[in-house]
Amino acid sequence: MSTQSMHIDAYERNWMIFGIVMLALFAAAVSVAAFGMGIQVPAPEQRVDPRTVATDPNSPWSNPGLREIAPGKYDAYILARAIPKWEYLPNEMTVPAGSTVSFYVTSADVQHGFKIQDTNANFMVLPGQVSKLTITFDKPGTYNFICTEYCGSGHGVMYGAIIVTP
Amino acid sequence: MTKKDKADDEFRPTGTVVILAIFVVTLIVIWATIYMILIGRGGTL
Amino acid sequence: MTQYQLSTGEKKFIGWHLLAAILAFAVGSFFGPLQAFEHAGWDLYPYLKPLIKSYYQGLTIHGVLNALVWTTFFIMGFLTFNVIFGLKRPLKNMTLNKVGFWMMVVGVLTAAVPILANEATVLFTFYPPLKANPFFYIGLTLVVVGSWVEGWGFFMTYAAWRKEHPNERTPFIAFGSLVTTLLWQICTLGVAVEILTMLLPWSLGLIEGVDPQLARTYFWFTGHPLVYFWLLPAYISWYAMLPKQAGGGKMFSDSLARLAFWLFLVLSTPLGFHHQYVDPGVPPVWKFIHAMLTFSVFFPSLMTAFTVIASLEYAGRKQGGTGTLRWIGKLNWSNPSVAAQLLAGILFFFGGIGGLANASYNVNLVLHNTAFVPGHFHLTVATAVTLSFMGISYWLVPYLTGKKLWQPKWATIQAWVWFIGMIIFSNSMHVLGLLGAPRRVPLGLAPYIPAEWNSRLFQVGVGGAILFVSGVLYLVVMYKTATNKQTVESEVEVPIAEAMQDPALSPVWLDRWSPWVYGALALIVIVYGPQLFDMIKNIALTSPGFRVW
Repeated sequence: MSTQSMHIDAYERNWMIFGIVMLALFAAAVSVAAFGMGIQVPAPEQRVDPRTVATDPNSPWSNPGLREIAPGKYDAYILARAIPKWEYLPNEMTVPAGSTVSFYVTSADVQHGFKIQDTNANFMVLPGQVSKLTITFDKPGTYNFICTEYCGSGHGVMYGAIIVTP
Repeated sequence: MTKKDKADDEFRPTGTVVILAIFVVTLIVIWATIYMILIGRGGTL
Repeated sequence: MTQYQLSTGEKKFIGWHLLAAILAFAVGSFFGPLQAFEHAGWDLYPYLKPLIKSYYQGLTIHGVLNALVWTTFFIMGFLTFNVIFGLKRPLKNMTLNKVGFWMMVVGVLTAAVPILANEATVLFTFYPPLKANPFFYIGLTLVVVGSWVEGWGFFMTYAAWRKEHPNERTPFIAFGSLVTTLLWQICTLGVAVEILTMLLPWSLGLIEGVDPQLARTYFWFTGHPLVYFWLLPAYISWYAMLPKQAGGGKMFSDSLARLAFWLFLVLSTPLGFHHQYVDPGVPPVWKFIHAMLTFSVFFPSLMTAFTVIASLEYAGRKQGGTGTLRWIGKLNWSNPSVAAQLLAGILFFFGGIGGLANASYNVNLVLHNTAFVPGHFHLTVATAVTLSFMGISYWLVPYLTGKKLWQPKWATIQAWVWFIGMIIFSNSMHVLGLLGAPRRVPLGLAPYIPAEWNSRLFQVGVGGAILFVSGVLYLVVMYKTATNKQTVESEVEVPIAEAMQDPALSPVWLDRWSPWVYGALALIVIVYGPQLFDMIKNIALTSPGFRVW
């Protein structure tokens, strides 16, 4: 009998095996959602210069807003900023129900967040980076989007809304 | 040095297994609830 | 059997750590409830106006003092105790450790000046381009470097011990403490690079701008293993001390406990992207790889759960406990140190569940930066860790001071009050997060609050009030103990649960450092290297600083 061996209680060994299986199932579930259902996290989209992104005429964020690129398909260019006040530009957009909207959001100053309530759009907004996710709005209603990262004293009042008409 | 108690060899942590089973059920229920919220809200691509 | 004795000087040195920790807790915990009260609509900040300018200045104080200062000082003190008592030898170079400690103290005081002057209202994550006064960054650097210096003192002590005991297994509490120290030294490289190469030169005006995405990546290199730096000292106590205190229990599996610590060393750093799932500048493939590694670091915690509970069950049965679960009642609940740690462990189950949800890749889209997140980490760092540290201090402070614990009954009540307050606070925060409430927002004033959140916001305030009572009770017990005229009759016994199986029989690879250390470093290089290289190559120092508070 070897004097040095890993002594593992039978119950504990079974628990460890069970734990690995359970974690593998969780991993499988998120993989199905990500790769099977297209519920993905943001990918690098584009880098910008935060010092000029709001003013450079070639930058879409010098004229932020909603653009219809095909029937029922929109691109929304949104600028988040803390200066001169805490706001999104634009802070209100209207689309008909069933629309698919790609959000391209960047910051003119500090870090911000962007979360559209009751949807899977929820991401960081960083100066120098463009965050993009695409959401389809099936149900009519008002969807607030709110800032989710501390961006100074006005963080709590920074929000806007997407109005989905029937 | 550790002296083995006689009781040690007979000790079976059955209560531990029950506690962990309760934990696992709670974990799966809560995790699945949040996962279903995610699924219900649809794709992002 | 007489135990190894620490010298008076060593006890004092550890005591200074605890004093600094508890003072930080006292100030920080004053501000915690103010956030909770604000949520419930009872905003007290206007009354603090001449001293404290805003909600966010208060939140910065709360986060820095409670999450960073209270934890780090308590941990360095507790690890110092574990290294000396575990190895049964004095520190190799006490002066070095003293230098480290005083660097940390100077660091905290240096950072405190700009924080109190409202020149560093950047919260404890200090994300640039929010730009704090340079002394904030200098102070933080001193705290981290001071903790490194103390850690080097531990390593030197271990090397000396190893020379004296070439074939012995490292005693568990020392082993766990050394792994924790090494983990800390590896992972803090991230924040050290962030501060020294970007934030400090930038705040001093030496460089024009910073790269916020790269800064976040450095920060979270440190940020997640930081959680294990907090947690592992509590695990040491749960594994190797609590079973003994709870009823003469033994450590159910010494070798699995050691394996769990090694796995934490290897796995807790290379997964920082799970805090950056929704960052724009990190490719999803790396996020996914870090997600898988995050699932894997849950495994040693599952092992810990089994071993610790089984050790407690053994204790309960030894005390005459029967039935499947009735032995739980036989544990030594009247000992405040036991009650605090058992209650901390119970809530940690839910901390683990919330953490796993947060870390589950795209599931994070539902939870990211919602109130769910502070709800979660108030179960982990503010309960599993903090309540355990309180429990440890209920025997360690009498041990260090020779003073009797003042009113153990009140100490036990303190633990229960924390437990109840935290259930109310944290449950409502989790629910609010699922409803969509953001974190770091004075929700009492936010313009977009639907009426259905109000009852939960009220509960946040109630929970905060109960926690405040518990925090005050803890400070009273500590103060009354430190100034107690009643001294302990004999030396306080250090609770050490022996292992069921002689550690000398466990495989020798569980006491070899190099494979685990190289493994940890290799894994970091593999899963951080390519992306970090890419980000540094394409660095854009284009963000000037802002002071928007």
